[in-house]
Amino acid sequence: MVINGIVRDRSGRPVAQARVYFLSGPVPLPDIALLTGADGTFRLAAPVAGSYSLGCTTPDGESVSRAVEVTGEADASVSFEIPY
Amino acid sequence: MSDTRALDNPHESVASEPPELDKPVEAGPSEEPSTGEAGEVEVSTGEVEAVEGLRSLDSVIAETAPDTSGLEDIGVASFGATAESIIQADDRVQIHNTSAYPWRAHASLLITAADGSSWIGTGWFISPRTLITAGHCVFIKNSGVPGRDGWVRSIRVMPGRNGSTLPYGSSTSTSFRSVTGWTGSGNHNYDYGAIILPTTLGSTVGWFGYSVASDSQLNGSVVNISGYPGDKPAGTQWYHSNRVTSVNSTKVYYSVDTMGGQSGSAVYHLRDGSRYAVAVHAYGGATANSGTRVNREVFDNLSRWKA
Repeated sequence: MVINGIVRDRSGRPVAQARVYFLSGPVPLPDIALLTGADGTFRLAAPVAGSYSLGCTTPDGESVSRAVEVTGEADASVSFEIPY
Repeated sequence: MSDTRALDNPHESVASEPPELDKPVEAGPSEEPSTGEAGEVEVSTGEVEAVEGLRSLDSVIAETAPDTSGLEDIGVASFGATAESIIQADDRVQIHNTSAYPWRAHASLLITAADGSSWIGTGWFISPRTLITAGHCVFIKNSGVPGRDGWVRSIRVMPGRNGSTLPYGSSTSTSFRSVTGWTGSGNHNYDYGAIILPTTLGSTVGWFGYSVASDSQLNGSVVNISGYPGDKPAGTQWYHSNRVTSVNSTKVYYSVDTMGGQSGSAVYHLRDGSRYAVAVHAYGGATANSGTRVNREVFDNLSRWKA
């Protein structure tokens, strides 16, 4: 199961090199963080179905979080909009 | 990546069998730390580092004394049963003097996976060319993303990094070690690995000792973690200490606050002013975070991986 996501700034432009990490989930999760690509996207494995919370911190230090529901039937998706 | 690195581990049979989690661990050998050839060394005489702004364990215990065992975490209301890396309040403290030992023996890791995706983690020196980290920092398992699983392509190691400042420069490695329990099975009980550098940066910055601690030496003891979390300003080092809440033969559970990016950090005891790792931090959980225990098998592999 994969969580597909994108990080955009206030004007809709993709944010590269933003750090994306798990804040919570249904099972213990690896304490590693992923960096978004040049197009602002990321793909992160979810080990089991359930409710997750993801955090995102931009290179400028802005942080936001989003809840994601992973059903196991299809990839989940999430979008971060950074308010600056 | 060459598959020969997977074959470098002579403990394949250990990793291929289910762990005996209830088996008691007796106290075992220790490898000694080194403060390195660089200058400043910070001295700590107690169980925790002498860091300004760190709440004392006594104050934390006093503030958390009311029995809330029957209450659910607020996150349960939104997300159901949760696993999270901050245990109650976030008590991490930023380390500013990262060029001093022991902080310079921790390294910020910039990991490039086989599919080109980028990740951050933490590692710590045990010898001139070898750092220890989580297995999932050197070998990705069960990602679900085509081309991502397997040995990572490279890791840039930045000891003592402080934001954009690299007091000891950086070194990039393409040589890694782990065990079949992780590379083959993805079993979290074997989630540890090593980075072998082409340079001897460890001689400059120093390294941590590591030791096999017994169950009684670990249970309730104070452990320390410093690393590079992703939720703080980029590349800054953060420290916290708290108590071990439980152990089994392969894992140590503790109430130290961590966040994504701190995978691979040393979980260490301060003994008579010296630092000895007793686990490798790897996972965030709902009531405790956890790391791979330095038991005798892990100890032997760490010693074997020294370069």
